[in-house]
Amino acid sequence: MAAAPALRELQRDIETQASALSKVQKDIAKNHQVRKQYTIQLGENELVLKELDILSEGANVYKLIGPVLLKQDLAEARANVRKRIEYISAELKRLDGTLKDLEGKQNSKQEAVLKVQQRIQALQTGKSKS
Amino acid sequence: MASAKGIEAANTIRVSDMEKMSVDQLRVLKEQSDIEVNLLQDSLNKIRTAATRLEIASTALHDLSLHPQGKKMLVPLTASLYVPGILDDAKKVLVDVGTGYFIEKTMAEGKDYCERKINLLKSNFEELVEMTSKKKSVADDLGLILHAKLRQSSPSS
Repeated sequence: MAAAPALRELQRDIETQASALSKVQKDIAKNHQVRKQYTIQLGENELVLKELDILSEGANVYKLIGPVLLKQDLAEARANVRKRIEYISAELKRLDGTLKDLEGKQNSKQEAVLKVQQRIQALQTGKSKS
Repeated sequence: MASAKGIEAANTIRVSDMEKMSVDQLRVLKEQSDIEVNLLQDSLNKIRTAATRLEIASTALHDLSLHPQGKKMLVPLTASLYVPGILDDAKKVLVDVGTGYFIEKTMAEGKDYCERKINLLKSNFEELVEMTSKKKSVADDLGLILHAKLRQSSPSS
């Protein structure tokens, strides 16, 4: 009799823990998605930088801005691409840190869910015995 | 090199562990492996398509260089609309190098660019083929052991 409300409370507990866990897992999935995009962009920018670097100084470089092809200075283009590469690398590092955080949170939430599950089982076996 | 050794180690670990794992665990692992193999094969196809397109571009470039200035041609405005025009200067080409940047190159440099890209894609392709075959062998091993376990458990039950 006293066990029933305790059981209900534990069940509510496990629901909140489980929803928190699934939220963390969704965040981790989003992190992976954004990381993938950034990694692709980083690769593309590095290719562009390689091409720009092997150009001789006089070569013409154009940038597509919307429907307009604008002539760009080679040094400026190189600097822009380098800055972009730096920015993307910094973002990736930041995402790495966030990912580690989220994974730690996921593990602790999983442990919490497991503990509540065990308590529920113990309670249920206790009830069936009595 | 280190990653290949890591994959070898992972493979050997799996074969000995596979015997100890339950049918359910094996099934989960096999599904994961299958998904990985499919992804890798998808990437392989994409690389092949990209390499083909680059080769077509290279051929087109070469073709263009053979024609003299002033030659009449049809310029595509959309997929079904062409406009008559005159070939102006085939000595210079604009190469799309990515992220919105275009570089003016001579015909020879343009061909060289295509060659370089094709070679890059080919080497990526070969690496991927290697990885794909390794993953596929792991997935096949998992499948075999899974079947063996199922056969073992069904006559006994």
